[in-house]
Amino acid sequence: MTRFLEFAGRPFVFFIEECGSILLLLLSTISWMFRPPFRFRVIFKQMEFVGVNSVGVVLITGAFTGMVLALQTYHGFRMFGGEGLVGATVALSMTRELGPVFTALMVTGRVGSAMAAELGTMKVTEQIDALNTMSVSPIQYLVMPRIIAAILMLPVLTIISDFVGIVGGYFVGVNLLKINSGIFMAKIIDIVELDDIFNGLVKAAFFGLILSLVGCYKGIYTIGGAEGVGRATTQSVVLSSILIFISDYFLTAVMF
Amino acid sequence: MSKLSIEAKVGVFVVIGMIILGYMSMRIGKLGFKMDKGYDVNVYFDSASGLEEDVSVEIAGVEVGRVRKILLENGKALVILRIDSNVKLRKDVKASIRSRGILGDKYVVLVQGSTAAHLIEPDGRIISAVSTTDLDSLMNVLGEVAKNISELTRSFANVMGGEQGEASLRSIVDSMKSVAETLDRTVQENNEELIKIIANLSEFSATINEISSKINKGEGSIGRLIKEEYTVEKLNGTLTSLQKITEKINRGEGSIGKLINDEETVENIDSALTSINDYMQKQESFRTYLDYKGEYLFDSNEVKSYLTLRIQPREDKYYLLQVIDDPEGVESETDITTTTNGVTTTEHIEKNKKNEIKFSAQIAKRYYDLGLRGGIFESTGGFAFDYYLFKDRLTLSVEAFDFDSDSNAHLKFKADFTPFKHLYITSGFDDFISDEGNESFFIGAGINFLDEDIKTLLSNLPLY
Repeated sequence: MTRFLEFAGRPFVFFIEECGSILLLLLSTISWMFRPPFRFRVIFKQMEFVGVNSVGVVLITGAFTGMVLALQTYHGFRMFGGEGLVGATVALSMTRELGPVFTALMVTGRVGSAMAAELGTMKVTEQIDALNTMSVSPIQYLVMPRIIAAILMLPVLTIISDFVGIVGGYFVGVNLLKINSGIFMAKIIDIVELDDIFNGLVKAAFFGLILSLVGCYKGIYTIGGAEGVGRATTQSVVLSSILIFISDYFLTAVMF
Repeated sequence: MSKLSIEAKVGVFVVIGMIILGYMSMRIGKLGFKMDKGYDVNVYFDSASGLEEDVSVEIAGVEVGRVRKILLENGKALVILRIDSNVKLRKDVKASIRSRGILGDKYVVLVQGSTAAHLIEPDGRIISAVSTTDLDSLMNVLGEVAKNISELTRSFANVMGGEQGEASLRSIVDSMKSVAETLDRTVQENNEELIKIIANLSEFSATINEISSKINKGEGSIGRLIKEEYTVEKLNGTLTSLQKITEKINRGEGSIGKLINDEETVENIDSALTSINDYMQKQESFRTYLDYKGEYLFDSNEVKSYLTLRIQPREDKYYLLQVIDDPEGVESETDITTTTNGVTTTEHIEKNKKNEIKFSAQIAKRYYDLGLRGGIFESTGGFAFDYYLFKDRLTLSVEAFDFDSDSNAHLKFKADFTPFKHLYITSGFDDFISDEGNESFFIGAGINFLDEDIKTLLSNLPLY
């Protein structure tokens, strides 16, 4: 009986523990944020890694998301003669939902996994312990720049993705499906509000926090050699993606 | 080719993002900012079914404003329209709710009346309002009409149908025929009589002709009245003096004329009305808030308390008076120069009075979501920026003050979150570039409420 309880209870306890340590990592990151020395160079390097180097991936996913959305909605709207609404649908979906979420997922795959692998390798090769001995806080030197970079860069990537997606939708709708370009643009301007764009960007910043925090957490708590690094990388991508989808629902419920 | 630095790459990337964001905001937000300007007009509709806030108000297909608010008042829908300030509405303008497109989005259409009518004042009311017959009620009416028609045809069929009906129809036709025959016979039999009647009529008309020509010549009493020169002159005189009086009034002579014609009088009355109106409006939009908050400083384990009076004469402007109990206290520096036996010594004394009260007095102005504050901060000069988010539920502020030459300025960053009315949570980082080790996280809570009593007190003081 006790063995059964132990068996059933362990995942639950494990889950609670994990939530707690992620939150503690976040709190200590915030407190390290305001203490000198400020290493702006390290933050910039991470911003380049998270932001600038992800542009290609985000451009391609954004453009094709917008294009396929235009193609799909066109056939639906044509049934009752509402082709003019294709543009507004694409713009609204991109700015509110698909832009932030797809960007976050792509960045999770590209950057979140890299964070977990990099920090995990440093952990198992005891470089993090070495940092501690040199009285350099690994949280300040490794975790904080990554989290700041992700929070700042995700909204920028998202706005690029939004724009490229709408341009892709415009290309498919106007050039391939022959929707009137004036109506296409007018409906976008008519229906999309400034709040849609800004709420999408707030979401994106939040997703940036989630993916970098989870990536760093999984990296820093890696155990068990090369195999452990592999496991940490996989877990960080899976957990970040799940948390992004869950928090997306609740953020949407709060904001719209 | 020299490689771009990391900073340059990130910078270019962020600038591109900002440009895209700016472009999209300008395209989409073009109408968003226009909303704030303009004036309100009220309309009562029997039903505002399907009408939403923020839909467009159009004249001749051109958007001239938005629907600002829809309320229920006395069982009718009170719709408040925000009209562009350069569009002038006349008193006889007609408002109606129309629907557009396959999805039937509702919007408000105004039809301008004659240009002669008076203008509608801000917060005035459009009298003529037509609610649309929505599809359901139209169907109801049509259904009733169809029922009536079917009843009618049924009763008609009952009367006309069958052999009996046919027989009665035939008898009607027969009797009509006999009436026509009788008429014909009568006319033929009385032919001479008829001719006589016509001759009489012609004689009568000749007599009337004679009478009227007599009047025309001035014969008989009626004729004299009309033709006599004297009567005409008298009438003429009356008319002339009447004209003189009106001219006098028109020129502004005499007391009535002065009252009506003097521009000054009109202006006086007008300005009196305007200032009364202004005063009332000021009184109405005038708000005062009382606010108490406590901040727990983590580093010194002490609580800093603020008691604030906020006087807000307009939506976008307020004055702030604050009393602060600061555990850090007030610092004062004095140089004491003493001369003993020809040797001058200067003693520099820094005093730190604990638990001293500080004061703040600031003025604040708000542009859209950005607020600027300036004035006295904790008994020193300073300024601050506020940024309002999520319908003012969240406020981010940066304050900078105490620009003493021998120490770093006091910078403070804080975020205020208002989850419920009257109650808010505040958190931030105080004095974060302090060179005296005063930097500290803080977290706190406060209450604020509208105080009507102070408002009444202040607005009755001769302030303006």
